[in-house]
Amino acid sequence: MESINLNHLFPTKTSNFAKDEIFDVAVVGAGVVGCAVFKEFCEQGAKTVLVEKANDILDGASKGNSAILHTGFDAPPDTLEHKCVQRGYEEYMKIKDDYNLPFLNTKALVVAWNDEQLGKLDAILQKGLGNGVKELDLLTHEQIMRKEPNLSLDAKGAILVHGESLIDPWSAPLAYVKKGINCGGKIAFSHEVKDGHHNGKYWELQTSQKPINAKVIINAAGLYGDIVDKIKGTQDFKIIPRKGQFVIFDETAYNLINSIILPVPTKRTKGVVITKTAFGNILVGPTAEDQESRTDSQTVKETLEDLKTKAFHMLPALKNHKVTATFAGLRPASDETYYRVSINDEKNWITAGGIRSTGLTSSLGLAKHIFELHNTRYEKNPKADEKVTVPNISEFAPRDNQKEGYGKIVCHCECVTEREIKNACHGELGAGNIGGLKRRTRAMMGRCQGFNCEAAVTQICKNEVKNHE
Amino acid sequence: MNNIQIAIIGAGPAGLSAALELKKLGYDDLLVFDREDEAGGTPRHCGHLGFGMFEFKRVLSGPDYAKKLAKLAIDSGVNIKLKSTLTKVENGVLTFSTPEGIKQYKPTYTLFALGARETPRPDRLVSGTRSPNIITTGALQRFAYLQKIKPFERAVIVGSEIVSFSAIMSAKHAGIKIEAIIEEKDEIDSFCIIKYMVKYLLKIPVLTNTKLKNINGEDKKVTSVSVSTDEGEREIPCDGVIFTGQFTPESSIMQKSFDDFNFSNNSLYISQNFQAKDDGFFVAGNVLRGALAAFKCYFEGKKVAKNIHDFIRFKHQPELIKIEADENISWYYPSMIDLKSPTKQHLTALRLKRRAKGAIKVLLNGRMIYKKNIHAFPFMSINIPWKDIELKPKDEIKLEFVSS
Ligand SMILES: Cc1cc2nc3c(=O)[nH]c(=O)nc-3n(C[C@H](O)[C@H](O)[C@H](O)COP(=O)(O)OP(=O)(O)OC[C@H]3O[C@@H](n4cnc5c(N)ncnc54)[C@H](O)[C@@H]3O)c2cc1C
Ligand SMILES: Cc1cc2nc3c(=O)[nH]c(=O)nc-3n(C[C@H](O)[C@H](O)[C@H](O)COP(=O)(O)OP(=O)(O)OC[C@H]3O[C@@H](n4cnc5c(N)ncnc54)[C@H](O)[C@@H]3O)c2cc1C
Repeated sequence: MESINLNHLFPTKTSNFAKDEIFDVAVVGAGVVGCAVFKEFCEQGAKTVLVEKANDILDGASKGNSAILHTGFDAPPDTLEHKCVQRGYEEYMKIKDDYNLPFLNTKALVVAWNDEQLGKLDAILQKGLGNGVKELDLLTHEQIMRKEPNLSLDAKGAILVHGESLIDPWSAPLAYVKKGINCGGKIAFSHEVKDGHHNGKYWELQTSQKPINAKVIINAAGLYGDIVDKIKGTQDFKIIPRKGQFVIFDETAYNLINSIILPVPTKRTKGVVITKTAFGNILVGPTAEDQESRTDSQTVKETLEDLKTKAFHMLPALKNHKVTATFAGLRPASDETYYRVSINDEKNWITAGGIRSTGLTSSLGLAKHIFELHNTRYEKNPKADEKVTVPNISEFAPRDNQKEGYGKIVCHCECVTEREIKNACHGELGAGNIGGLKRRTRAMMGRCQGFNCEAAVTQICKNEVKNHE
Repeated sequence: MNNIQIAIIGAGPAGLSAALELKKLGYDDLLVFDREDEAGGTPRHCGHLGFGMFEFKRVLSGPDYAKKLAKLAIDSGVNIKLKSTLTKVENGVLTFSTPEGIKQYKPTYTLFALGARETPRPDRLVSGTRSPNIITTGALQRFAYLQKIKPFERAVIVGSEIVSFSAIMSAKHAGIKIEAIIEEKDEIDSFCIIKYMVKYLLKIPVLTNTKLKNINGEDKKVTSVSVSTDEGEREIPCDGVIFTGQFTPESSIMQKSFDDFNFSNNSLYISQNFQAKDDGFFVAGNVLRGALAAFKCYFEGKKVAKNIHDFIRFKHQPELIKIEADENISWYYPSMIDLKSPTKQHLTALRLKRRAKGAIKVLLNGRMIYKKNIHAFPFMSINIPWKDIELKPKDEIKLEFVSS
């Protein structure tokens, strides 16, 4: 009997650049924002390093979200968020095919469940039009039922938002980082930025491993954005983590809805979203709970029950389906609602903080915006137009188990192959921890939660890690 | 596309014994499929003794039992296709993912023998942290017996169905210390002799009336569980949690593919012939209702084989009446009665979700036609006789439990 704890399966990664290397730019934090910024700067020709305290990308806010590509129809008008969400959406559409990234235009319905909400639809429509989102329709009860026959008869009216879509929240950032590396960017995992000072020429960042030198720092530390920002000397904002709990239903429920079902936002209560996911499930959530802790993503039974009850009310047939997973994500919300993006030219410091609840969509747009703020010319990277692809793990395109030679299927619920698991263990961008393995493959994320495959997955990963030492 | 006469999906005790029996009855155009790379089903990883007594008159371990069954099948010429995952059933065509690519078969008769799984943590909506060290008995067995891996040092077992005993033995095999067994109900969910064995022989605390409140820990690690009892809350330090039991059929593929699904049983409606409503489909073993002992599934497999044989020979046109059940009933079968079947129905077997005293009632078109006073345990089956009841097409039958 060998003692193997899944939490210690993957070795700590080291970086592959010299200690005295001086980068043009260091991006702190490999959440979706940091990954997109890294890609942009690498493509533009800046010598860039991505510094991340975890042993993998997406270990913070970006690991658990609703995976909706937003149109910005309900964004606060004329804000940076509004601009970046729309720009991010556009960018995603431009690159998705090159990167083999999935996209499903499900459309969304903002459903009014009572007269009070019904009265608000027009204002939402006007706001959407004002935000430049033209493809919006008001639907009557009958029209809703024709589109969504399983929805509760209580649906009084809705706005159909044509552009709202679903993506894979994990493969997209992975693709961004891969592109950055392909352009020569460097990455330093398990490097927690602890402190730093500017020596007159460049920043020297102290980390939990070796120090990192860069002329400009971009703080994309998400839930720790305010703490990292202190390094520059002043602190302009405070992060107030906002937890969002989710309930995921089995793939048997997948066809119960066609569109994303969004709530009419009200001041008092935040409604619940019901949507399909790229992985073939139905997602219900998220809640919005302010908290002190930046790490506590525990779920709470009563809250999950409440989510289920609300969802059953809107979509009664969901009752007949099993819960596959429950989890919580933490939004890096700040003490103000807007994005905390700023440049301090004197200090050579850019902050991309408080990217609360639209970062998955806005990240590519935000990255462009930040590069423009940075306002420095580099020689464009010769590989900027080269394609890099990531494996598809979504249900929107053929998966590995449909292509022969995969060895065997290891995770039966999610149909994950031995080949996929092995590949996910390798390389500079291989899984750095068990969560990373799940996000690259979906292994153990299905209805049996490892009843069938956890032991086998552990064995395969152990052998792969050993073989590649 | 391959046309075949009979396809059996699942090479566990139910599927393999059905295959053996059909082979004996002379059926050669028969294929058994399983998604694993070894035949034998769930017993493959039940490393402890407790199998084969009724089938082979010997006490075997799960893996030995699985091997024996698989060998019997292969020796008698049954063709088993391994690493073949059924992913879709549409218009009578079965689609499989295999390492050689997608394969499709169109069988005249299909038997689903897909087994069952335990309910893992999410569907139980438990508060607390997430961790790979929160597992089920099945996962623990695969760690301990198949991969020879010890995933954590000391654990708490949640639930006290008979399978929790399996969890104890598997943990012992792996060298994992069990800190306690906790059970929400006021008594254990299996014969009380088990409780005394666990408590006095194995010296493991069995905490009934104890609710799991929270799994404590951070960063994918478990540090303890908080439990509450009448006396208040307390913490039990541990680095692993094993959820046991609450078996549920491995039936998602059927739920996805068939219009008419029985949500009480989480399986298809089946008649006394183990025949589904859709033409040519049969169901047997644990995928009908959750876990029974392997020998029951083995004998059920034999029985369904004979039913398939009869159906092929006599080709009667089924006339089906559905049986529904209320929410006190955890499972029941058959869930339809075929009035035209040569096998006359005598019994419906059912189990309740919790221990209760009261009466089981059978309602025919809303009128009570049968009543039985019972004191039922969730781990014991109750039988309802049908022999004196005349049924007509379009009758509606409902099973009800009323507590006293
Ligand atoms: C419940 C929920 C639902 C959501 N739904 C959607 C949606 O449907 N659509 C959408 O567009 N957006 C959605 N979002 C928003 C989106 O997920 C966030 O905006 C985004 O993840 C923020 O990313 P980030 O990169 O800013 O932060 P993070 O992901 O937290 O990244 C910051 C990174 O910095 C690292 N780090 C921190 N401190 C240090 C240090 N000192 N040194 C080195 N590294 C450090 C962290 O480890 C982390 O990896 C949702 C968010 C939540 C929580
Ligand atoms: C932890 C545990 C301990 C147990 N201990 C005992 C014990 O001590 N004594 C005892 O008598 N019984 C025990 N049992 C119960 C016993 O294992 C089952 O009763 C028996 O295995 C059920 O047989 P089955 O053929 O119905 O299903 P299974 O044995 O589960 O076989 C089903 C087969 O179907 C395959 N399958 C499922 N879906 C697909 C698909 N889509 N495509 C292809 N193949 C598929 C599976 O891979 C599996 O091989 C235990 C069960 C468990 C989980």
